[in-house]
Amino acid sequence: MTESARVIAADVTARRRSAVEIARATLAAIDTRNPTLNAFVETFSERTLAAAEIIDRRIAAGESLPLAGVPVALKDNLCLGPDLSTPGDGLGFGGRTTCASRILEHYRSPYTATAVQRLIDAGAVIVGKTNLDEFGMGSSTERSIFGPTRNPHDPTRVAGGSSGGSAAAVAAGLVPLALGSDTGGSIRQPASHCGVVGLKPTYGRVSRFGLVAYASSLDQIGPLAANVADAALALDVLVAHDPLDATSSTRVAPRWGTELNSPAAPRRVGIPRQARGPGVHPGVAATLERALERFRAVGAAIVEIDLPLTDHAIAAYYIIATAEASSNLARFDGVRYGRRAALAEGESLLDLYCRSRGEGFGDEVKRRILLGTHVLSAGYYDAYYATAQKVRRRVHDDYARAFMDCGVILSPAAPAPAFRLGEKTADPLAMYLEDVFTVGVNLAGLPAAVVPAGVVQAGGASLPVGVQLIAPAFEETRLLAAAATLEQALAA
Amino acid sequence: MPTVVSSTTIIGLEVHVELATRRKMFSAAPSPAHREFAEAPPNTLLDPVVLGLPGALPVMNRAAVEMAMLVGLALGGKVAPVTRWDRKNYFYPDMPKAYQISQYDQPLCVGGLVEVPAADAKGFPDLDAPATRVRIVRAHLEEDAGKLLHEAPGGGVMEGSILDLNRAGAALLEIVTEPDFRSAEQVVLFAKLLRATCRFLGVTEGVMQQGHVRFEPNINCELTLDDGRTVRTPIVEVKNLNSFKAVRGAIEHEAREQPRRWMDDGRVMGPGTKTTRGWDDARAVTFIQRGKEDAHDYRYFPDPDLPPLTIDDAWREKVAARLGELPLDRLRRYVTRSGLPTKEAFALIEERDTCLFYEAVAAGLIALGMEEGRAGKVAANWVLGACAARANERGAQPHEVGIKPTTLAALGKLREDGRLNNQGTETLFARLCDAPTQAAPATDALAAVEHLAGELGVLVVRDDAAMAAWVREVLDANPKVVEDVRGGKAAAVGRLVGEVMKRAGGKADAKAVREALLAAIGIREPS
Repeated sequence: MTESARVIAADVTARRRSAVEIARATLAAIDTRNPTLNAFVETFSERTLAAAEIIDRRIAAGESLPLAGVPVALKDNLCLGPDLSTPGDGLGFGGRTTCASRILEHYRSPYTATAVQRLIDAGAVIVGKTNLDEFGMGSSTERSIFGPTRNPHDPTRVAGGSSGGSAAAVAAGLVPLALGSDTGGSIRQPASHCGVVGLKPTYGRVSRFGLVAYASSLDQIGPLAANVADAALALDVLVAHDPLDATSSTRVAPRWGTELNSPAAPRRVGIPRQARGPGVHPGVAATLERALERFRAVGAAIVEIDLPLTDHAIAAYYIIATAEASSNLARFDGVRYGRRAALAEGESLLDLYCRSRGEGFGDEVKRRILLGTHVLSAGYYDAYYATAQKVRRRVHDDYARAFMDCGVILSPAAPAPAFRLGEKTADPLAMYLEDVFTVGVNLAGLPAAVVPAGVVQAGGASLPVGVQLIAPAFEETRLLAAAATLEQALAA
Repeated sequence: MPTVVSSTTIIGLEVHVELATRRKMFSAAPSPAHREFAEAPPNTLLDPVVLGLPGALPVMNRAAVEMAMLVGLALGGKVAPVTRWDRKNYFYPDMPKAYQISQYDQPLCVGGLVEVPAADAKGFPDLDAPATRVRIVRAHLEEDAGKLLHEAPGGGVMEGSILDLNRAGAALLEIVTEPDFRSAEQVVLFAKLLRATCRFLGVTEGVMQQGHVRFEPNINCELTLDDGRTVRTPIVEVKNLNSFKAVRGAIEHEAREQPRRWMDDGRVMGPGTKTTRGWDDARAVTFIQRGKEDAHDYRYFPDPDLPPLTIDDAWREKVAARLGELPLDRLRRYVTRSGLPTKEAFALIEERDTCLFYEAVAAGLIALGMEEGRAGKVAANWVLGACAARANERGAQPHEVGIKPTTLAALGKLREDGRLNNQGTETLFARLCDAPTQAAPATDALAAVEHLAGELGVLVVRDDAAMAAWVREVLDANPKVVEDVRGGKAAAVGRLVGEVMKRAGGKADAKAVREALLAAIGIREPS
């Protein structure tokens, strides 16, 4: 059972426990469990303890820190610089930022991502970096140079992805809080597969500065936590306008963490017709119906809505995301940083690029770079990229229309529970369909949360299944209230 | 095979202006195009954004946008209400992100028209000859690349190449004209005026040697053949010319070579025939860089890291208010109203602060009662004469020599009225530069300069009786010289002037003395 971040922060603040003893226990638990799970790709033992010590001193000095002593794990596509561990201490984590890619295998970022710095400033203790699909491209955390992350509920199964390491770390009780990133469902799908809460904020809510870009117009950092209130607390810390990110919102953020004590039940919950389609696993379908039932029980009206472009959304997503990725990943050329291939006598600059990239990227990344390069090419742009942008606009409009009928939308997070390791690696299209219920949210820039909603028996294992709640842009308050309502109703 | 009877050169121009913003186009790193950082050692003007480090994001520099708006408006263009940033994708070691942020189909400034005066034999504007109407297609912002060096600094062989990323990400304004030029002279004068305008507007340091202004002419020829047909040769784009001499050379070279090339290969303009050439300054020839088969597919698409930019009326009007009277209009005014030679008028508009100083001197002279045309002329003589000479000795600009414009006007007025002679004027000018007075209205400045001249004893003594006596004395004492003058050696009068000045203790006005002497001798000089 994962401990609550709020309980830890309260204990450290009241000095019932020290940040150091919590950090030490966390590191010990990671040492024990990680060899099986492979959730962490790096931990920062001494430096983590040193940072925890500083938190204890700051608490002793009377400082008030919302995440005092809370151990946090970071998806390894978030930059963590050498000397920014805690304000004023000069200590550095100096970890690698690999994106689980050969090409950044030894890359150390000289600076820290804004979102990470905000957690550190709030008293969080960074314990390590977590596994992911290379550059966030995948739905299973199998496509990593570090090997696959295993699902804590059944080690023969995937944790989901691409933030699988973060989801598994929270699900296994190793950390109460982890950061992930979500481009097409990469926080929500693993949260569902691992049985934790995953929150993808509205696009622009959390600064992307220091998140290694996969698809810039879709990427968003968010928390994975053991419960809705912890996710809300993390969101409070993460959200602020960042002058270093031109897409960062200037809207003032409410204090979500303190508004959840008695959440208002949503009045109207929308259920997309497409969520009850034939492709949905019966266990997932039953979980969804049970969640609807609980909403009805607390007084919400259930309305059926139509998201007609659900299938087209996934095609549009794979055009837009790969187009942006082909451009974002072009910088990894072996010239200035990252892995540079050794050249044979007489080989040229072009050979250097080709070899460095050929050796540095995995197959899925190469596939997406090729796809993205193709859809932007002269003569194909209008047919693919421009058309995908039109679909994106219409997806956005479909959601806007749906929200005239309901306050929040409920849907599956993934079509089925966690699948077995290796089950879909040979079939990229099957893997892409894992995202069918999540990509629309990214295309429309909406906030969405996954809440654990049941357990499904599959292949002799008991597997968690989450449901997804979606709210209009910048309506995290409504989203979190609905999520907390469901969480309470399911626990009752 | 038909032969070429005549050839008309057709030229369009792309100009890159490095904007003198403090910070780069999309990052907080200092820009080498700003005076303060021009001397920065290699690879010191960097940050994660410039280096294209993983996770770094671009943020637009509003100052660069305003500078680009100023230039666009000065060229008669429109500022787009909504403009967008696009990625231009290509691999090059001096471009860390492997894409350049530029503007593709929604540029910041659209359209425009410049009336480029004809050039005289020396390349200065000839306002009497018909002007060329040059249409501007667009002006857009982008980021510059770094510098790749394949030779060791200072020359010499080096293993590998070295990279200086100081310039990477600096704000760059690209201006594109229609192919409205027909000669190298027209292009060069336009280029000079554009550089002067940009410098006047304060948007670039405009140092040619540092590549602050770079030109890329697109050149082809319309050939008239002896069978009456006309054909157009394929367009050649000459890249990266950073001197006016190179612009002229490249165009003249292509104008000569293209008819010859056509006779060799018969190739004419059409899709996919454009080639890119470089300029060899030493040999004064262009050379092939890139043929049509190497054409890039830049895969432009909107940069998802940068929201489209909306420019409302209030912002645009605020920027437009900073335009003032444009340098070319000022030049025309100086030439037509004050009769300045275009060379002088051109010199005055090259530096905004010098130009404004000049205008303040002229205004001071007008306030002291001088006629406008004359005031402009007198002020120009001062600014381009004494001020420029003194500035030159001190490595400064003419407006930076210390003297205040109204004080200079007062000095000019006293001299013009014959109240000071040359020597006294020089003394006073040096004194007023070394120990500047407070800025004051022209009439107060006049009183102050008069007072100081009195104190220094340099005011011309106007004692007509004494003058008449000295003249008589000198004429009587130098009968031989008087004979010479009468005999037509007018220059000999200078000796007599010197004698009178000696008697006057240097306090007479040489011009007045000369006139008095000639009158007494009985010669009337044509005035």
